[in-house]
Amino acid sequence: MPNWKLINQTLLYDGTFDGLLTIVFDCYTTKTLPQKIASHQTYEPNFLDKPRLIQTDEAKANRIFHGIEKVIGQDALTHSFYCFLCTEANKEITILKYLCDGFEIGPKINQKLTISYVYDVIRMHRKAFGECHRLKGLLRLQEVGPNLFYGSCHPDHAILEPLGHHFMRRLPNQNLMIHDQTHHLCFITNGKTYQIIEDTHLVIPTISKQEKQFQDLWKLFFKTIAIPERKNPRCQMQFMPKKYWQDLIEEP
Amino acid sequence: MDIFQKLKILADSAKYDASCSSSGSKRKNGGTGIGNGETAGICHSWGADGRCISLLKILFSNACIYDCKYCINRRSNPVARATFTPREVADLTIGFYQRNYIEGLFLSSAVVGSPDDTMMLLISTVTILRQEYHFHGYIHAKSIPGSSKELITKLGLLVDRMSINIELPSQDSLKLLAPQKEKDGILTPMTHIAKSIAENKQDHSRKKSLFVPAGQTTQLIVGATPESDLKILKLSQGLYQKMNMKRVYYSAYVSVNQDSSLPTLESPPLLRENRLYQADWLLRFYGFQAEELLDDTHPNFNTLLDPKCDWALRHIDQFPVEVNTASYFTLLRVPGIGVISAKKIVMARRQCHLDFASLKKLNVVLKRAQYFITCQGKTMYPRKELSPSCIESSLLRLERNTSPTSSALWGDQLSLFSHLPPTKEDKVKCLTGNL
Ligand code: SF4
Repeated sequence: MPNWKLINQTLLYDGTFDGLLTIVFDCYTTKTLPQKIASHQTYEPNFLDKPRLIQTDEAKANRIFHGIEKVIGQDALTHSFYCFLCTEANKEITILKYLCDGFEIGPKINQKLTISYVYDVIRMHRKAFGECHRLKGLLRLQEVGPNLFYGSCHPDHAILEPLGHHFMRRLPNQNLMIHDQTHHLCFITNGKTYQIIEDTHLVIPTISKQEKQFQDLWKLFFKTIAIPERKNPRCQMQFMPKKYWQDLIEEP
Repeated sequence: MDIFQKLKILADSAKYDASCSSSGSKRKNGGTGIGNGETAGICHSWGADGRCISLLKILFSNACIYDCKYCINRRSNPVARATFTPREVADLTIGFYQRNYIEGLFLSSAVVGSPDDTMMLLISTVTILRQEYHFHGYIHAKSIPGSSKELITKLGLLVDRMSINIELPSQDSLKLLAPQKEKDGILTPMTHIAKSIAENKQDHSRKKSLFVPAGQTTQLIVGATPESDLKILKLSQGLYQKMNMKRVYYSAYVSVNQDSSLPTLESPPLLRENRLYQADWLLRFYGFQAEELLDDTHPNFNTLLDPKCDWALRHIDQFPVEVNTASYFTLLRVPGIGVISAKKIVMARRQCHLDFASLKKLNVVLKRAQYFITCQGKTMYPRKELSPSCIESSLLRLERNTSPTSSALWGDQLSLFSHLPPTKEDKVKCLTGNL
């Protein structure tokens, strides 16, 4: 870690990736390292902290974004982004240290796995990415209107956007609503553009008879395809932990 | 017969095929049509047997004209028969895909009419999917033994993966249990597919059509016939080398028929199947040869230890190895060190010397490896405690505590972390927010 001045301050941002990059920009240009970084939505004030809100500045964020790409490489962008989606505490300061060090060292930073914040960024990336990948398989869509498909999920990490993208590219002729019930957000797309909205006014329509038939066919297939002589509920549970079951159509 | 009854019969008949992978396809969707391929593959669910469900795995028909003795659908068995229409299969696939139940279709069939008739039915099904629905999702088709070259080529141009199951690992067993299938009826088309894939790879013209881009696989039944593990593993090795096979699947034999030429097994030999998968993995990714793992004096796997531990104990003179200097492939031969750990070690040691504490920081699991490595010349335990018999008993204790999860090898999840970064396009779109 370069010799930056530690300042006794908590920096707050608006919870967006651009907001965090704005802080990275400020810290990088002033060579200072804050005590803590937190999103102002989740921040709980405490007597000892001196919080300061940093306004998100898109121009600064873009410069850092392209700087990362150029100096540290694409991988560093992906690492930081997925790490940012992870819900672990202290992810922000970990990303800051990782990026600042990365600007000094370049792409080789990713090999320095014995440095804890490098290891942690990559570990958190895996955690969030892993959940996103899992949900690419486990999300179930239901037809709730003519060519309108709805899917509900309860992810631990804030992976709705990359998850939504996957489905937008995969099923471009369907209108999709992907509902993140943990973070109360909904990804809406017509196959060409998308939007993420809060779910406060979301009404989930009921399903048609034809939809019911597909669900029943799937349940039948699911039951039939297992080999009874090889029953292995532990293994099944290990790959598909119980917390995912609530959003499935089939009954494991 | 309604679609529910057909699905029940024809999924039930397809369940013994072990193949479930949906990896290796890069088919893109340019904004029209439905679906795309995901190189790393995606598992959509896990059945009660712990196997990953990724594809709609069904037979087109189970009304077979053949009489293979190990098969539930043999002509002489009194089971319910059903046959789909191409339209039914295509519609079911699209309906399931739109709801994200599956990654695509795995279509196989019993032989109805003749091998060529059956192939025609498979081809028309896949044609509806690709040309009418513009479906770019994954399709794995089983080629029917004995069908003509022209039809194989035609099918190969439409699907992502093709397989012809060898099922019985020797000619004698084949004669005994599947008298109507000839060895040539299996190997000739297999060679034809392998050759066409290779030629297609050579062809660099931009407009070329893909031929079986995700490669060819096959399946061997384990435990229905007397072949040793060595014989089976050598066969796999040959298939990987000569046929450029993508995967060989092993399927523990489930006794479904009573027949004097078949063994009666109380339960399928799952441990043996698991050992074969472990060894197969060692052949494909760890640089091992079949003859190193087994030989005529040990033709079958140790039931108590996994193949790599077993090999290491028999070659204890090659250990311990120094993690700071050993080559990548030497590291891979250390019990407990896998591809991910070996890569991490090689990467991290360029930056600093590694000791046991730094290995822990890298999350390298030392439970097994600790007996086989040194860090800067030091072993984890005093050397005199490291007699081969001590190591063996420690490894056996570990093995007992970790129950075998053979199904860990069924799915695609193992490749998950080796394919971490998503495509560039994905990153840019994800990171720049609204389009
Ligand atoms: S050809 Fe296939 S379906 Fe027919 S009996 Fe033999 S193994 Fe069974």
